[in-house]
Amino acid sequence: MSLDLDVQIEQLKRCEPLTEAEVKALCLKAMEILVEESNVQRVDAPVTICGDIHGQFYDMKELFKVGGDCPKTNYLFLGDFVDRGFYSVETFLLLLALKVRYPDRITLIRGNHESRQITQVYGFYDECLRKYGSVNVWRYCTDIFDYLSLSALIDNRVFSVHGGLSPNINTLDQIRIIDRKQEVPHDGGMCDLLWSDPEDVVDGWGISPRGAGFLFGGNVVSSFNRVNNIDYICRAHQLVMEGYKWMFNNQIVTVWSAPNYCYRCGNVAAILELDDDLNKRFRVFDAAPQESRGVPAKKPAPDYFL
Amino acid sequence: MGASGKATPTSNPSQRVKVYRLTDDGKWDDQGTGHVIVDYFKRTEELGLIVIDEEDNETMLVHQISSNEIYRRQEDTIISWRDSKISTDLALSFQEPVGCSYIWDQIIGIQRDLQFNTIGNDRVHGANTELRKLPSVELSTLPVILKNLLDCGIVNHMQVAELILQDKDFFPRLLDIFQMCEDLEDMDNLYIISKLVKTIIFLNSPRIFEKVFGDEFIMDIIGALEYDAEFPKVQSHRDFLKKHVIFKEAIPIKRSILLSKIHQTYRINYIKDVILPRALDEGTMTSLNSIINSNNATVVSSLKDDTSFIHDLFTKMKSSSTSAESKKMLVFFLQEFCSLGKSLPLVHQLRLYRDFASEGAFDVITEALLSYDKKLISAGTDILILFLGQDPNLLRTYITQQNGLSLFGLLVKGVGEDTHCQFLEIIRILLDSCAPSITYQRDAIVEIFYESHLDQLIEIINSGCTSENTDLDSKFSLSDGKVGHNTIKPEIMLNICELLCFCVLRHPYKIRGKFLPNNILKKVMYLIRRREKYLKVSAVRFMRTIISCKDEQLFQHIVTNNLLKPVIDSFVSNGNNYNMLHSGVLDLLEYIRKVSIKTLIKYIVETFWDQLSKFEKLETVHGLKIRYDQSLEAYNTKPINGLVESRKHTREGGLEKEEEDYFNADSDEDSVSAVSTDKLKHYPKPNLSNGRTSGLVDYDDDDGYNPPQKKIESSIENNIVARPLSKRKSVSIKDTNAANLEIKKKGKLNSHKIKSAVAVAACTTRRQIDSHGKIKLPLPPDISAVNKRSVQKSDACCSDGMPSNADIKYSISDEGPPLEDVSNDTPSTMHNAADIKNRGKDEVSPSLCEIPNVADSTLSSSGEEGSSNHVKDDLLSETAIADDIGNSCHEKASPIKPTVIEIIHSDSENEEPSLLPSSEVSIRDAKITNSELYPVR
Repeated sequence: MSLDLDVQIEQLKRCEPLTEAEVKALCLKAMEILVEESNVQRVDAPVTICGDIHGQFYDMKELFKVGGDCPKTNYLFLGDFVDRGFYSVETFLLLLALKVRYPDRITLIRGNHESRQITQVYGFYDECLRKYGSVNVWRYCTDIFDYLSLSALIDNRVFSVHGGLSPNINTLDQIRIIDRKQEVPHDGGMCDLLWSDPEDVVDGWGISPRGAGFLFGGNVVSSFNRVNNIDYICRAHQLVMEGYKWMFNNQIVTVWSAPNYCYRCGNVAAILELDDDLNKRFRVFDAAPQESRGVPAKKPAPDYFL
Repeated sequence: MGASGKATPTSNPSQRVKVYRLTDDGKWDDQGTGHVIVDYFKRTEELGLIVIDEEDNETMLVHQISSNEIYRRQEDTIISWRDSKISTDLALSFQEPVGCSYIWDQIIGIQRDLQFNTIGNDRVHGANTELRKLPSVELSTLPVILKNLLDCGIVNHMQVAELILQDKDFFPRLLDIFQMCEDLEDMDNLYIISKLVKTIIFLNSPRIFEKVFGDEFIMDIIGALEYDAEFPKVQSHRDFLKKHVIFKEAIPIKRSILLSKIHQTYRINYIKDVILPRALDEGTMTSLNSIINSNNATVVSSLKDDTSFIHDLFTKMKSSSTSAESKKMLVFFLQEFCSLGKSLPLVHQLRLYRDFASEGAFDVITEALLSYDKKLISAGTDILILFLGQDPNLLRTYITQQNGLSLFGLLVKGVGEDTHCQFLEIIRILLDSCAPSITYQRDAIVEIFYESHLDQLIEIINSGCTSENTDLDSKFSLSDGKVGHNTIKPEIMLNICELLCFCVLRHPYKIRGKFLPNNILKKVMYLIRRREKYLKVSAVRFMRTIISCKDEQLFQHIVTNNLLKPVIDSFVSNGNNYNMLHSGVLDLLEYIRKVSIKTLIKYIVETFWDQLSKFEKLETVHGLKIRYDQSLEAYNTKPINGLVESRKHTREGGLEKEEEDYFNADSDEDSVSAVSTDKLKHYPKPNLSNGRTSGLVDYDDDDGYNPPQKKIESSIENNIVARPLSKRKSVSIKDTNAANLEIKKKGKLNSHKIKSAVAVAACTTRRQIDSHGKIKLPLPPDISAVNKRSVQKSDACCSDGMPSNADIKYSISDEGPPLEDVSNDTPSTMHNAADIKNRGKDEVSPSLCEIPNVADSTLSSSGEEGSSNHVKDDLLSETAIADDIGNSCHEKASPIKPTVIEIIHSDSENEEPSLLPSSEVSIRDAKITNSELYPVR
């Protein structure tokens, strides 16, 4: 089985998508693995933390070049694998295949784009439809999204989540009792973890302009870190031009891993490497050069009636 | 637009309009009928709308398009504005929506260009003045022309386009040179030509598109684009289009103009998706999409109106003499036809599907689903989903008739055999009870399902669970040997279990009638025996769902049958592994604790405490025990309350016998008994985000179970009367007391919640909003873009990904009358529009209020999550990026509650000092960011 999987991983690394049946089988296997993970998944250092990818497949390959291949490097991805880029299908399937192949060497947690509603608007749905001619693959993938963990805790010191904190959640134990197998709700703790943002000017909690989640200030972060006895929070979810950004006196850091976001924002990307003793090292990288990207894989069906 | 080059406007029925003028006494006065074109005025460089009377060929209307004017598009066929020069409100009512879209796109394009002109005039004026003439096209002048084009900047796009169009020989010469260079393999010049062609396309001029996408030039244009210097290799697009692309004809299309449009559409799509996807800017992309869309609409609408064509199609599909292979082709054709039907305005879509249904489309689909060909099944399924997205009652009606039963049976059977993953979705839509009005057909289907099919599904779970662990329940025996457990794939059981959860939520009244008597709970709980942990988790989830229905008889059933035993056992044996099983069970226990279901607390603690006590360090488990102890105390000290409680039960449900041993205690307002058992039928259905996996985790900072409906109620409480257009059932006012309580408890988060609830009502019409005071539209960034297409797109998310029946019904009732009787209804709307405009720009832009209507035609196609939502991608994301950049690099991802429309009474306006930007701000912001995006390119 792992042999098949290795073949599939090689294929995906060439940015060639799997067949529908292969996706289905892969998702089933992933389901068995992900169901065993906690809402606050324990991760051991050394680990390399990556932020949003958004279907920028060739830029993710740059990421692996910089950070090292999986399984040699232990990875934690903070969600938002899909939407916006041209290769959401290949990107997510490669990560998922790696997860199935090396469950202990790569951790995937859920971002706000790992949702049925959002992917219908921001590209993943259309991409699946275009590449497979049916929505089945989208359905398999979005079903597996429901199983993705919500956060990770590295060596009990670094809390990692896609978005941020929630007024409903003070302790990590409160995250543990969420039944996460559901579409991202419109409010409540699970929603906030995936949608919230830290904000300098906010004291306490503020209403998020995104329409979901909250804005939270430095005092919220301090108290969360103190209560849960963690050093800092590592999250993604917001584009930062420099690839990463500390806030609130190094109590929270944003890591962004989609260089030249949407192929035109001009930003650099970063990953955060933590060694055995949790020493931090940010690795900044640029978008993949044009030549290495190949021809856009948006081919329409080769036959048509109308 | 099309192969024939520039269409003569007077002959085109799609540009036939009636002109209306608003009189002083507020009536719309019919000025006559004519044909509208957008053209240059004589001797000026101004573009404007000109309407020529169809009877006497006199000019009826001349209006210069200006950047300040606010043009509004209403329904699909009306464009109105206030002409500031003559201080009059005018309106054009189009005969065909296609024509309206076409003119509308032109107006918007011209306005955009004008805006850039005014913004950029000072900066780029120097460059502007130089370009009065382009050199004639020669091999030697190519670099100069390219330089001119590249230098002109976005500001002068219009002007350059005009220069190119003035030169009749421009394209013939250019493409001659291209062919020559290609023959000579003159790569340098080929690269220049390629760049030149690309730049010309990015001029985004409708009239240039008309030319270059015409039959005469398009293949050469594509050829030129093959030599893109940015790609290491020369591409082979023409080769692909000529040799590999197959145009299939199921029923021959005779009209050559349609054929040409069909080919053109495919090629433009190809240019957009394959050749230029990275390079395309938002504006050009929008133009290409709208050409594609309007082509599709033209093709589909002429074919559907061709009665003999449709008749041929269905006769052939139903005829027994048609070969299987050609039948298959016909089904594929029907699939494409239905899918392109989404380009039509909503009413026409609906009519299309109705016509197809009455022609016997469902019979054809049934046959397709019976086949063994996966592709054919898939096509049939797709068509069904498209129908359901439009009007589920078409299929429901069919099923409730005799010959339709087999189709439903087929679908249910398909779920059990994992035929197609969309079957589950179809059944779910059919059974869904969130339609705005409860329909007879749906009820009938629900009955059919419970009577004839539920057992079948349960049986599958049964047979999949028995032999693995027969030791757990020796009494159970495999009743039907033909379905061996080995053949049941775990994912099928998973799907069935999910469907059951859905059923419980949507039809809670069936619990007593069907689930309990047939011991279905117990059978579903067998899933816990399965090895696959996700099946165990799904069984726990089912139990959690069913308990959320809060019915005392149900609880008794659980206790009597010891149904939580497998749950607790699996939890205990899972130990301290913090996995989904752990979370799922804790979620279940936490729910029981929070809602304080005394029967179950007593049962759990008294039955399982030995096992659970080692988990007492977990807050939930500990809390459960505390609840138990408290209740025990309460029982000892407050027997009177218990009496009251039991009387209540006697009165309402008649469960007096069990009452005796009840665990009576002080009933807080959330206690189970507060829900009278015979009211269970009307119990507000838990609010589902997408029908499959609802937010069962619903507890907040308070101690109660809060069905999300209450949030809607609370909005009612705040005098917000907005008609929720989601699938949710509207909530009755009588529950507002509960809402009251809710509001008091909610504290600081309350305002946020209300907004989220009101977001449901995002699609209210302006008229309604008008009558309720001021509207604020704190549109999320993605939405606030002025760009029309992106607005459509964002609306897709505003309806939570599932524009419902309600949307459809609603927009129908709101649909403008056809050309003939415009004077009746629509003018009042227009009048309002004029009013709003007169109130000045500080008010909400009326056009934004109308967004949902404008977008309806695109949206209606997306039914529940699964049905395809065909609004094209990319545009919005680009707008979103603009915002990302514009807002200090915050990634403004899509909102889950996308259009948060706050409807605030004028007197309560001050109570909402929210951080949300007001509509004015966001709209303005959007304009700025949008325009900022252009210079970037």
